[in-house]
Amino acid sequence: MTSYGGATRTHARRGLALLAGLALLGAACSSDEDDPAAGVEGETPGTDGTGGGGRGGEEGATTEGGGLLAEVQSRGNLVCGVNDAVPGFGITDEAGEFSGFDIDFCRVVAAAVLGDAEAVEFRPLTADQRFTALQSGEIDVLIRNTTFTATRDGSEGAAFATTTFYDGQQMMVRADAGFDTIESMDGTTVCVLSGTTTELNLATRFAAGGLTVTPLTFPDNEQLQAAFVAGQCDGWTSDGSQLAGVRSAFPEADGGPEGLVILDEVFSKEPLGPAVRDGDDEWADAVNWAVLATIQAEEFGIGQADVQDALTDENPDVLRFFGQPIDDGEGSTAVFDPGLGLDPEFAIAVVEQVGNYGEIFDRNVGAGSPLELDRGLNALWDADEPGLMYAPPYR
Amino acid sequence: MPANAPPPSPPGAAAGRAPRRPRGRLDLGAVGLQVLAVAAVVALVVYLADNVSTNQRLLGIDSDFSYLDDPAGVLVAFSDFSPGQPVREILLVGLKNTALVALPGIALTLVLGTLLGIARLSPNWLLRKAATLYVETLRNIPPVLVIIFVNAAVVLGFLPTIQESFSLFGLVELNNRRLLVASPVWTDGTAAWLVVVGVGVVAAVVFAVLATRRSFRTGVPHRRVSRGVAIAVGVATAGYVVLGAPVALSRPVLDGPSFSGGAAMSTGYFALLAGLVLYTASHIAEIVRGSVQAVAKGQVEAADALGLSTGARLRFVVLPQAFRIAIPPTLNQFLNLTKNTSLGLVVAYSELTLITQQVIGNGSPAVQSTLVLMAVYLCLTLPISALTNVANRRLQLVER
Repeated sequence: MTSYGGATRTHARRGLALLAGLALLGAACSSDEDDPAAGVEGETPGTDGTGGGGRGGEEGATTEGGGLLAEVQSRGNLVCGVNDAVPGFGITDEAGEFSGFDIDFCRVVAAAVLGDAEAVEFRPLTADQRFTALQSGEIDVLIRNTTFTATRDGSEGAAFATTTFYDGQQMMVRADAGFDTIESMDGTTVCVLSGTTTELNLATRFAAGGLTVTPLTFPDNEQLQAAFVAGQCDGWTSDGSQLAGVRSAFPEADGGPEGLVILDEVFSKEPLGPAVRDGDDEWADAVNWAVLATIQAEEFGIGQADVQDALTDENPDVLRFFGQPIDDGEGSTAVFDPGLGLDPEFAIAVVEQVGNYGEIFDRNVGAGSPLELDRGLNALWDADEPGLMYAPPYR
Repeated sequence: MPANAPPPSPPGAAAGRAPRRPRGRLDLGAVGLQVLAVAAVVALVVYLADNVSTNQRLLGIDSDFSYLDDPAGVLVAFSDFSPGQPVREILLVGLKNTALVALPGIALTLVLGTLLGIARLSPNWLLRKAATLYVETLRNIPPVLVIIFVNAAVVLGFLPTIQESFSLFGLVELNNRRLLVASPVWTDGTAAWLVVVGVGVVAAVVFAVLATRRSFRTGVPHRRVSRGVAIAVGVATAGYVVLGAPVALSRPVLDGPSFSGGAAMSTGYFALLAGLVLYTASHIAEIVRGSVQAVAKGQVEAADALGLSTGARLRFVVLPQAFRIAIPPTLNQFLNLTKNTSLGLVVAYSELTLITQQVIGNGSPAVQSTLVLMAVYLCLTLPISALTNVANRRLQLVER
């Protein structure tokens, strides 16, 4: 008996160590898993034990205040899921700085919510990863050339804000390849990104024309571009704006922008816009109105440089928009607050720090950029050549 | 056993057995702790599963597997899959493509790895050092880099475009999209010719048996292999001439933007297969070298004393014993190769993982899709694992 006593104690100690390890693991996992739940289960703060994790207390405090809006404000920065490989929309330069149309809308949201357009942490994501990152709460908002579709709204747990860019799928080919329409591309090989609506549209478009196509599916744009340059595929299909971005930055060694042609045919509707997680209306509203503010500012004709002048404008609509006191004619003044949970003066931060919609467009993808895209559908509804950009009244 | 396991130790070195506890005594404390540990693990799994499904429900994401019947919507390269077919069928296409890499990969790895392993033991200095350089380089690089390198250096960097496809007498076409080889086509005379070939093979086997018997009787060398093959080939050739070319050839022809005819292999497939074979062979080589060195020295000396040549010594004495030692760790490498086929996504080869990512990106729920993916890989690898265990048990018993 005694001879085995030592062994038993060793067993017991090992067992205890194992249990302790499991308990630690459990605690670590539960604090991780509760993180995404925090936003969704916000209406029952405190019932959910966030025990163990070092961030538990902090999280408890933020969920008290409501949803993601309060959490972002107490955290002091916005985590934005973005693209880092599409020139004009989201790309990193040699210094690791992000720039682009979508990037600027991340800054718009940060300016509206936090008052500081630079308080953004950019999280580059592939097309495949983006909805998982959004569902799990890894990012606060997804602004990454993401098409608003019924499936994504319905079963991917995403909610879309106002469309920031009305796009459509097109096909890019080498200028010397001799393809001028989709119909002429029977039997070709086409490069496409995996996990995108473009992949679905490619199949639909070629089937509709009775054409055969071999898709080469890549997880990211760098690999796809290498394959396209080497001639592994005849065409590259994506949203027209993305193709324009890629074309504008195409290396001279590989033929430069002139070596490529984007076919005229637009064979899908791709409304691109910010997406947030389902179930947090307050946050969705905040993101939505941050975007709308840029459109509203362009409607007013107020750009980055004009904001300070506009604060003393005669027009009560402008004053209301910028959260300035409005004299009601009887001596009393009031500041308009629509109850979005944003600072009444949020539009000042948005327009002053980032700009209005037209400025963001021109700077990144329009006349002032290498892409030189026309406004097209993205013009204001009351422009000379009207587009679809329209902000609901701010009142 | 981890991927970089050291070569097996010589037989007999690890034969020590732990002393056993007398039967009939139950250590209640230890049992209780184990029960607690199991309960804790089960509770953790249940908690996590519940957490996931609760969160999915709150986000309006399905937590069942009905998505498997939804249309997949996408095309798969080099397959006749149509976008209207359900998700479960696109997964089967992916599984087939995975097997198309894993099975030939295992065969090629075994051949290349064995040759390299023997080369590492060669008395020839140049051969030995070259093999060492290969093994030490390849097995210390992540396999994904090997695949990317093969793709960038060979497929993208070296192979011509489809318009300038490299052609070998019109029988083989090689470009950076496909490798095409002229393939036989069934015609009216093919069946008759196959019968003739069959007759030739039977005749060769009959000859071999008779020659062997005569050899045992008279002591005359039988030469059954060379003469048997000659008989079979001769009959097949004669039949081919007499029947007037009964098998047609489908040659690959450039037809607009793509080739038609012939049998094709995509270059993504080539890059993945070559990358995995080159990488895994370096591990197999180490196993082979270790196993050969683990064969007792006395065996080699005895073979030398009998006057066997180097080849005969390897073939009849060393390798049969070395293979016994090598089989379990080799099966482990086959397991690794099978799992590493998931790296095909970096070269746009539509294997199971790439296809799963595609369907997740197009609306299938990520959690369930990933669970299905893991289950399929387990189904592929558990049989290999079981085989390893059986081989391990049996071979240890008959160790000499």
